[in-house]
Amino acid sequence: MNQVSFNNGDADADVVIVGSGVVGALIADQLAGEGHSVLVLEAGPRLDRADVVENWRNFSFERRAGNDFQGPYPQSPLATAPLYWPANDYIELSGPDGKGFKQGYIRAVGGTTWHWAASCWRHLPVDLKMKSTYGVGRDWPIGYDELEPYYCRAEEAMGVSGPNDPAQQSPSDRSKPYPADMIPWGNGDEVFAQVVNPHGYNLVPIPQGRMVKPWQDRPACCGNNNCQPICPIGAMYNGIHSVEAAERKGAHILAESVVYKIDTDENNRVIAVHWYDTNKVSHKATGKTFVIACNSIETPRLLLLAANERNPNGIANSSDQVGRNMLDHSGFHCTFLADRPIWLGRGPAQSSCMVGPRDGPFRSEYSANKIILNNISQIHTATKKALAMGLVGEELDTEIRRRAAYGVDLSISLEPLPDPNNRLTLSKTRRDGHGLACPDIRYELGAYARKGYDKACEQLEHIGKLFNAEEFHITTDLNANNHIMGGVIMGASSKDSVVDGNCRSFDHANLWLPGGGAIPSASVVNSTLTMAALGIKAADAISRELAAA
Amino acid sequence: MRKSSFFAFAALALGFANADAQPSAQKFSAKEIEQGRYVAIAGDCAACHTAPVHPGEKPSGEMAGGYPINSPLGAIYSSNITPSSRYGIGAYSEAEFARAVRSGIRRDGAPLYPAMPYPSYAKLTDADIHALYAYFMTAVKPIDSAAPTTNLPFPFNIRTSMRIWNAMFVDEQKIAADPARSAQWNRGRYLSETLGHCSTCHSPRGLMMQESKSAPLSGGPLGSWFAPNITSDKVSGIGGWSREEIARYLSTGSVPGKGQAAGEMAEAVTHSFSRMNPADVQAIAEYIATVPAVRDDSDKQAAYSFGHSANFETALRGDSKPALGSKLYSGLCAACHGRNGDGSPDGTIPSLHHNSTVGASRSDNLVSVILHGVDRTVGDRHVLMPGFGEASFVQSLTNAQIADLATFVRQTFGPGDSVTEKQVAVARTGSSFSIILLVVRSAMVLGALLLAGIAFWRLRRTSGGKTA
Ligand SMILES: Cc1cc2nc3c(=O)[nH]c(=O)nc-3n(C[C@H](O)[C@H](O)[C@H](O)COP(=O)(O)OP(=O)(O)OC[C@H]3O[C@@H](n4cnc5c(N)ncnc54)[C@H](O)[C@@H]3O)c2cc1C
Ligand code: SF4
Repeated sequence: MNQVSFNNGDADADVVIVGSGVVGALIADQLAGEGHSVLVLEAGPRLDRADVVENWRNFSFERRAGNDFQGPYPQSPLATAPLYWPANDYIELSGPDGKGFKQGYIRAVGGTTWHWAASCWRHLPVDLKMKSTYGVGRDWPIGYDELEPYYCRAEEAMGVSGPNDPAQQSPSDRSKPYPADMIPWGNGDEVFAQVVNPHGYNLVPIPQGRMVKPWQDRPACCGNNNCQPICPIGAMYNGIHSVEAAERKGAHILAESVVYKIDTDENNRVIAVHWYDTNKVSHKATGKTFVIACNSIETPRLLLLAANERNPNGIANSSDQVGRNMLDHSGFHCTFLADRPIWLGRGPAQSSCMVGPRDGPFRSEYSANKIILNNISQIHTATKKALAMGLVGEELDTEIRRRAAYGVDLSISLEPLPDPNNRLTLSKTRRDGHGLACPDIRYELGAYARKGYDKACEQLEHIGKLFNAEEFHITTDLNANNHIMGGVIMGASSKDSVVDGNCRSFDHANLWLPGGGAIPSASVVNSTLTMAALGIKAADAISRELAAA
Repeated sequence: MRKSSFFAFAALALGFANADAQPSAQKFSAKEIEQGRYVAIAGDCAACHTAPVHPGEKPSGEMAGGYPINSPLGAIYSSNITPSSRYGIGAYSEAEFARAVRSGIRRDGAPLYPAMPYPSYAKLTDADIHALYAYFMTAVKPIDSAAPTTNLPFPFNIRTSMRIWNAMFVDEQKIAADPARSAQWNRGRYLSETLGHCSTCHSPRGLMMQESKSAPLSGGPLGSWFAPNITSDKVSGIGGWSREEIARYLSTGSVPGKGQAAGEMAEAVTHSFSRMNPADVQAIAEYIATVPAVRDDSDKQAAYSFGHSANFETALRGDSKPALGSKLYSGLCAACHGRNGDGSPDGTIPSLHHNSTVGASRSDNLVSVILHGVDRTVGDRHVLMPGFGEASFVQSLTNAQIADLATFVRQTFGPGDSVTEKQVAVARTGSSFSIILLVVRSAMVLGALLLAGIAFWRLRRTSGGKTA
């Protein structure tokens, strides 16, 4: 096994990976397992799970009720991530829908999957062919068939449970069963399916990165519904699991090491990256292959920051697409009181979802959607409302109980199309703790998804009627769903794309940019499994490249 | 019960055969083979001789050995006991097989170390030995690969001294049925004393590492764990457990309100007790419940009887600088065991009060369970509590953190004493620590044995006695 070598604070390795989130960690795990020396540079600190759990438990009622999932995570002052309670304005948002792009992500060893919900969806085969099928968006340069084996490997790596009944799969194009069958449904899922499924909404189990039985060193999910902001027992897949696995195989992780500069040679191959340590001292990592897996905001930001003489518009940016096509499943919520007890909040945070409106010929005109039965305990919402009603004593208790039982929260995701004008640029005024420019993002939902919003509202009104809904409400403000995509978009040509089907940059033969940034079509489903699959696909390509060299 | 660390420094069991003689080409009946399979389960041969498969590793195969026990002296591997004639025991005749299992002498005449529990197996009936032989020779698939060899440095490679040890401590006298007791009790005694080899771990050991005959089953150290007193004493032992509870513990590994199996006992439950027939498990319980009580006078209360539902949460939330132990408990344990320590109502997740691991007079098992977790499978039901030792997927805790956490748990739900950082450090190096200790101790013992052996031999020779 090759070892990372250190010399005077500088490092040399076969593979240098920037970012230790799920994507970077899975690549590190695979390549370290193959015997390559792997250095992972991570901007954020190493976290202790118990601290985060306790920070959350000690939070004010408002911050808990307001889902301040960023807040409980300690940050390095030198590697800021967005905060919203209060806002730290690390990212400045502009454009018509800028306010709907308030993304959350974590900068720490293990990355953002510390506080995800672990929904592990696949894109539909047709999602990769939006242009040729529906005449909108972009086609991927690879087909679903090429991606499928990597989906299987990603599901295996993340220990995914999902419905093994093909009728409940979305999509059912699978070469292998899920590593474990679906997490059993709670009362809410069952009741909802009975009511909405006769009307074509097709509520199905959400495939998810947790199991009701132990998986490798991971305990069984005990259903305490704390997944966001953190699973207290490590039953939910977190990137840190892959980091630990990679370390066991010899990968070397350096925390609190912020990469800011990239050197290229006369063939435009990357020869080194530079990082700042906690004392703001700069170091250099040389290597054969470089991977930047910093998520779809930090990867384009780094590429722009690292502009050098040969690449004056930024690394990997001859197409001028770095930072463009920023995507997310812009979403909104629908809440009501049902005519029967639902009891949301039993079991994990995500359990079932309506995929009926996920695909159809309408996609040539307007956006698809998916409607998650948001399985988050309603007690906070119920309590807030009951207190606002001025109730006290037993009346207060009864009302909280009633609302916790009957309350419904649906979380709807839309599919915006990639738009080069939705763009991340570097701030001219704001700088982080290392003096590096902060990101600015301009965002507009676009007419296609706007129309999808209107259509979704019609569906929601119908669902509300099926439950004789009281206090029926649909939010008009968009919310971010933290499935950040775009920024280093994948395509067939170096003219309009940053990376190829293996996430290799067109401009630099030994630079890979895997993860959400490459995804050219959002679909409506949470996209981390797709990011992970792309990461493993890139790892295979890197492995072949290293073997050939 | 398995890979007993008393002799963890010793290479295990049956070694390599010289392929000069072939076993007699015997025919065995299906019934004998089945009985042998059962005897192998009850004796838990697989526990040491089938290496567990870790994710990403290639399995070495059933009974093919290769189970590594890491020690500062080097890795120690269990041997291949498949009927491969080159690498396993394929060349053993039934008599040679019986001699290995009962007397710890392998085919080439070299003695085994008693990590292989032959002192217990010595009392096996001829019928069980025959069945076991039938099973190994016909139903176990020969695997033609050598288990890695164990190379121990001097003096641990001198197997000869074991002959003397055997002569002194191994009693091959068959167990005579006690007519005053029920058939069930007698069956239970036979199973416990032979195949179950309970005493291998649960009996204290003498200076020469022999099992104590004066206070059998009154508890003994086992690496970082402590195999508790399982005599019928109501305070120090398990006299407060009903026979049904003992049987339930053996066959499922969990009795809510009493205790749960972890460590090597969890492995014994997984591989052996849970797969034995219920009548036999009940028989073992019947017998174990009658083992003469041994009381440790410093014990005041049964391990399972300590503690009560606690309420520290409110105080914790109001505290800006909470004690580390309570904070760790809340952050890492409370999500499953409950903020009150009540566990889950159906007992799937154990309570921490009324829990023998927490209430035991020694804190070894509590510390070990925090370090290594619990891993037990009964049928298709896998129970896994993650450990918090090195490379934990949940959180790796330092010795000081584990000491604080264990102290909090002992004080909130158990006897109220404290656990020190040093105790945790010792437990963390667990087996290797006890190995170092054993190295020193055994070197002394071996030296003494060699001297005694020489004297013994001389004496025998001069008196014209027959050598053993
Ligand atoms: C509340 C929430 C819930 C979510 N739920 C789901 C869900 O249910 N399903 C789903 O599919 N997705 C979900 N997501 C999205 C998911 O978490 C992300 O898609 C995923 O974590 C992205 O992985 P990544 O490895 O690309 O990036 P990250 O996990 O963000 O990791 C990137 C790492 O790179 C590091 N880094 C950044 N810049 C630098 C630098 N300059 N130098 C060194 N290191 C750097 C960062 O510190 C970070 O640790 C959720 C997200 C949030 C916030
Ligand atoms: S429901 Fe609880 S145990 Fe299960 S994954 Fe979520 S936080 Fe973890």
